[in-house]
Amino acid sequence: MKSIFLIFILSVGLTLTSSNTKHEYYVSVTNIEHAKEQESVQIISQVFIDDFERLIRERYDETITLSEDDEPEIVDEYMKRYLEDKLKISINGRAYEFNFIGKEYKEDITYCYLEIENIKDIKSIRVVNRILFDILPEQQNIVRLKLNDRNKSFLLIPENDECMLNFN
Amino acid sequence: MKIFKYFLGALLFVSAGAFAQEDIKPERKPGHTNQNKFKQLYDEFATPNMFRTGSGAPGPAYYQQQADYKMDIEIDDVNAKLYGDETITYTNNSPDELTYLWVQLDQNMRAKDSKTPLISSSGIGPATSASRATGTYLKERFDGGFNIEHVKDVNGKDLPHSINRTMMRIELPKPMKTGDKFSFKIKWWYNINDHVKDGGRSGYEYFEENDNRSYVIAQFYPRMAVYNDVEGWQNSQFWGRDEFALPFGNFDVNITVPADHILDGTGYLTNREEVFTKEMMKRYNQAKKSYDKPVMIVTEDEARKNEKTKSTKKKTWKLSAQMVRDFGFATSRKYIYDMMAVKIGDKDVMAVSMYSKEGNPLWEQWSTKAVASTLKSYSRMTFDYPYHKAISVHAQRQGMEYPMICWNYGRPDENGKYSDRTKYGMISVIIHEVGHNFFPMIVNSDERQWTWMDEGLNTFVQYVAEQDFGEWYPTALSPGHDKYPSRRGPAKNIVRYMGGDQDFIAPIMTKGLNTYQFGSNAYSKPATGLNILRETVMGRDLFDYSFREYARRWMFKHPTPEDFFRTMEDASAVDLDWFWRGWFYTTDYTDIGIKEVKKFAVTNNPNENGRKLAERYNMDPNALVYFIGEGDDGYDEALKSGKSMDDLPTVKEYIMDNFTPEEQKNMKKSPKYFYQVTFDKPGGLVMPLIVGYEYADGSKEKITYPAQIWRFNDKEVSRAIATDKEIVAITVDPDLETADIDTSNNSWPRETKESDFDKFKNKIKD
Repeated sequence: MKSIFLIFILSVGLTLTSSNTKHEYYVSVTNIEHAKEQESVQIISQVFIDDFERLIRERYDETITLSEDDEPEIVDEYMKRYLEDKLKISINGRAYEFNFIGKEYKEDITYCYLEIENIKDIKSIRVVNRILFDILPEQQNIVRLKLNDRNKSFLLIPENDECMLNFN
Repeated sequence: MKIFKYFLGALLFVSAGAFAQEDIKPERKPGHTNQNKFKQLYDEFATPNMFRTGSGAPGPAYYQQQADYKMDIEIDDVNAKLYGDETITYTNNSPDELTYLWVQLDQNMRAKDSKTPLISSSGIGPATSASRATGTYLKERFDGGFNIEHVKDVNGKDLPHSINRTMMRIELPKPMKTGDKFSFKIKWWYNINDHVKDGGRSGYEYFEENDNRSYVIAQFYPRMAVYNDVEGWQNSQFWGRDEFALPFGNFDVNITVPADHILDGTGYLTNREEVFTKEMMKRYNQAKKSYDKPVMIVTEDEARKNEKTKSTKKKTWKLSAQMVRDFGFATSRKYIYDMMAVKIGDKDVMAVSMYSKEGNPLWEQWSTKAVASTLKSYSRMTFDYPYHKAISVHAQRQGMEYPMICWNYGRPDENGKYSDRTKYGMISVIIHEVGHNFFPMIVNSDERQWTWMDEGLNTFVQYVAEQDFGEWYPTALSPGHDKYPSRRGPAKNIVRYMGGDQDFIAPIMTKGLNTYQFGSNAYSKPATGLNILRETVMGRDLFDYSFREYARRWMFKHPTPEDFFRTMEDASAVDLDWFWRGWFYTTDYTDIGIKEVKKFAVTNNPNENGRKLAERYNMDPNALVYFIGEGDDGYDEALKSGKSMDDLPTVKEYIMDNFTPEEQKNMKKSPKYFYQVTFDKPGGLVMPLIVGYEYADGSKEKITYPAQIWRFNDKEVSRAIATDKEIVAITVDPDLETADIDTSNNSWPRETKESDFDKFKNKIKD
């Protein structure tokens, strides 16, 4: 019953309730940057706390409330699990796993810090980002790449969930 | 001669850089039109006329139409259907002859043949869940469109009409001339949608426990479209996002619901004694005298008991409203109901809440107080709230406004526990939606065309009202908060949006339907812009006076964007065309930095450059004052420690010869250190140049150079600073007032900033 319930919200509802103080639109932003001297790829994913909480409740544990001061430790574990599942990064043709460094809440956004170590050069990168697509078909994920002195952004949607950048 | 000497000194100061370029022959550039950021907005603005004047006020020929409604509505709670029968009386106050009328059928956005689903792009992913595939490809779409049974004149004769999706054109039997009234009747019904499952601003929430529905109902009747001097008929289709444009009028509405429901809505309840129990009447009369806390009209215990059974009888609630642009109501047997009085001017207004037990304990604590507090704050910022009540209704995932009534989210979990986010979210949404009574319910802008005109202005006042609420109800704040944590308003909070990808940003002056990042575009950015005007550009007195003047001028009328822009300038004598142009008409962002700081010392001994200059202008080299830059020829150890200007013989001599002892006493303190600070502006927006100077003795000073400093050079400006104290640091926009999207270039000496990533990583290491 629950999944049908969800589809419905999704197909008609969400973009239409607009005159309120919620964030009214469903966008995450993932910044991917290469820190050359540290040989590390640094990733910051920004997801609205409301959306992330709903996701964690529906996907893992209904009793969880995201909150800076009073939150079970398992939340980080769930976030890590989820991001590993939905955010895939390949560099120079090889898939990499990232370390989940941690997360913090600022205003209404969760900032997740992820890192891939020991990356000297980036010749190509491929990013698949399906964050929140499982509960919000209106969701759009912006991926901002800042690599080799180039800035490039992509807007990913459920039907087009990956982007590539080559430096050759 | 003296004057010339001064001029030369100034020349030396400001144009040191110009000499190097003098022998480069300028390439002849083509001509250009006025691209100046301070260009008047004559091209963008509509020409003032007899309807709308250049001052931003309604003109002598301003008119607006009127639509009066008499309605009988019934809700069939068993089948979740709404039946309606209305008589609309339309008055043509325009100078134009009308041959047809346009009526809005908003519910047709939910019709089976609605085109709304067809304007979002869709595609096929590699895999999806069975449930979603079923929902997308197999499930029949809910049919929530209007079923129009008839459109007749008052004599029962059918009126020819034709429906174009969410708009219906009705042919008039004879043209309406100025001042004519025409009455007609429409009968209709529709299936009420589940707003939690199917979305929408109106509908019901279903509760499995006790099989109950709570209804929040709006856009439920065929509504007159606006006809005015700027749009003709405003019959832009309703796609689901852009809200409404509606004329004012009077409503008499009889609503029949199950007898055990509690109902409230827009207007005076004219048969209160029929629908209230004796006990409720008694409590109501107490509430009218309770100014400090709400009185329960229906308690939680009573509501809990009430929702366990279902009455098969009906009851009709009669509401009558004057000068409203719309009508909404909420009804359920689950409702708890409380009220308190609030003094607005010399009048008592009732602050009211309706919520089911699911909203407690939050709702009984804060809803009605938030309503009362909002009415006070907004009345101070605009005009005294003219209606007799304001209701906040609890509804899952809603935040929507109608005259005198609104629906709001904010629900604790099943154990009554809630996070700070839920609490502040609820109080904020109540303040926001109650605030909409002012914009656009009373200052009746066209939401279909300009979302920002009500959302932006309302979000701005919401910020002020939230801060008031935090002050007036400190116990509502969580430990560790000394003021209300407003999300929108402060300039720094908009940086994330304005510094974002230009591909996904639209100017504020864009129809809501076509904007990216709707919330930031139409709510946060305009609200932040007004906050910058209030705190930084105009100051509170000038801003508040002008903002109030706009609200007062357009109270119960239909303003356009120009009416707002013009009034703000007309009432304040602050030229704001540059601000409107940049902030509202473009996606430019603020980025101002410090390019270079050059230190100078003052001396009587010229260097090579100084000697040449004196020679060129045929001046006595001993009569001049020289400024030598750090690192330049002639800048020696002696100059490094600085010399006070009035210690120079040339200056002493000049002062003694030209000023009386009295005048000498009143002179400024003599400067010793001289700096030429060059500011650059990588961002396209012009903003006041706010600079913080920090001196060696620890003292600080903030100087604001008006935005007009950028009028000749949009990229770079310099300022000469003369001071008796050494400057140790300079910061552009030290208090983050201008939404500068990149502060890495804002300080001198340049601070090397850790990246956000490294900052976080180091933080969690500690």
